[in-house]
Amino acid sequence: MIDYAEQQKLFGTIAKYLSDDITCYAFGGTAMMYFGCKEQTKDIDMLFENTDLRDKFIQAIKKLGFSETSPFKIYIAEKLRDKFRPLMFSFAQIRFDLFAGKIFHTVLSPLMLEDFFAVHEFKEKHTLTVKTLSPEHIFMLKAVTERQNDFDDIRTILERRPDFNWQYLLDETIWQYKKGDNWVLYDVEKTLQELKEYIFIPETYIQKLRSAVQESGKGEKQNLTKTAKTKQKKEKLSMQKKLFKR
Amino acid sequence: MMNVRYSVMADLELLRKLAGFQTLETVTRELGIKRQSALNLLSKLKKEEYLTVMGGGPKKRLYRITLVKQRKRDLGMFDILNKYSPMKLAPWYDHQVHGKYTVEDALVDAVQTGSFRAILSSLRLFSHITDWPRLYKLAKKKNCWQKIGALHDVAKKLFRAKHLPTKYSGKPHDSMQYLVRNYRTKENWIKPIEQEWNVGIPFRNGDLRKGEV
Repeated sequence: MIDYAEQQKLFGTIAKYLSDDITCYAFGGTAMMYFGCKEQTKDIDMLFENTDLRDKFIQAIKKLGFSETSPFKIYIAEKLRDKFRPLMFSFAQIRFDLFAGKIFHTVLSPLMLEDFFAVHEFKEKHTLTVKTLSPEHIFMLKAVTERQNDFDDIRTILERRPDFNWQYLLDETIWQYKKGDNWVLYDVEKTLQELKEYIFIPETYIQKLRSAVQESGKGEKQNLTKTAKTKQKKEKLSMQKKLFKR
Repeated sequence: MMNVRYSVMADLELLRKLAGFQTLETVTRELGIKRQSALNLLSKLKKEEYLTVMGGGPKKRLYRITLVKQRKRDLGMFDILNKYSPMKLAPWYDHQVHGKYTVEDALVDAVQTGSFRAILSSLRLFSHITDWPRLYKLAKKKNCWQKIGALHDVAKKLFRAKHLPTKYSGKPHDSMQYLVRNYRTKENWIKPIEQEWNVGIPFRNGDLRKGEV
């Protein structure tokens, strides 16, 4: 676990070891800490525009003593098979999850590149620029991962940030779907349905998203019956077990 | 009387009740607690970074309470622009720089945003430039010296800006650049500067008047 002050110090130290100026995007728990919604995070999730930038960052953290660890216990088998799975580095209970180009199926959208919540520049010999994605993007990314902790984080964002922009979330979700992330529409819609129990969500936005799901026509996941879903889960578990054995 | 011995992090309801500006009296009234209990609670909120204090001394203490943590900040581009420019900006993102950050850095960053308001606001920074070599080096690194030079000439025409050292005043032969994408001025007094620096300057007289430049 790492808290806000420690994380800031760590970024400052990393900047000292960089061989070039680097820009990256923070999401997950790190972004939540920048929003002021979270005290600590288990891992520092970062996205780089390409693998070259990520490699330069890795060089710097390796000098600090970080070493690569296995992602097997952390992500489900389906995610592990993904070409865009993260490289993970840890040292003294601090873990970096480093993505390049994509976060699993989620592409870096033009809005993600332009519209961010915060920019922190750590200036040493070279500069490490950490751009924090907006709360709406964090909502979407957390909705896709479907872990209980992520659901709680989404709730925290919505409870503590009354300025949350639902239309923005909707537009981004649809954009991601059009760019090939087939699951994002379904996952966000499902999260909204679950959230309705705890938080007021304007019905118009849910309806808009639902109609987008219907329009998509493909809605593979939507058409799945309960039994099909459980089958799919079992398959995932068995795959995970196989990978562990290996 | 209400029991105030609870964890603030967990108690979102409490924060919701108190969010905004408060004084000691309004807190006691809102929660129906004693003065000392309110002070204890405010101290706890401050420790957990949900509260900042304004005023004090002869003035009344004002407490600003928010639902999210109010972290300590380092200065960024918007802080420097708002310090020196009469035209204040509402930041559209939180910019902080941890390390050396000067007026020269803020000027280059403002030009790099491509935002009309940020660039208009940055004109006033030319009165506070002291380290021209640093500005030149930063601007060259980000390939925007042409834009900075053009802006300096506009600033010179409007108010007493610092003199650009002759060492750096050579006009470039680079391709056309725009301060704001595809925007050019229609003002005759700015056009010669555009041609000289080969930079599209987006300002009109009305903008400069509104920006109090």
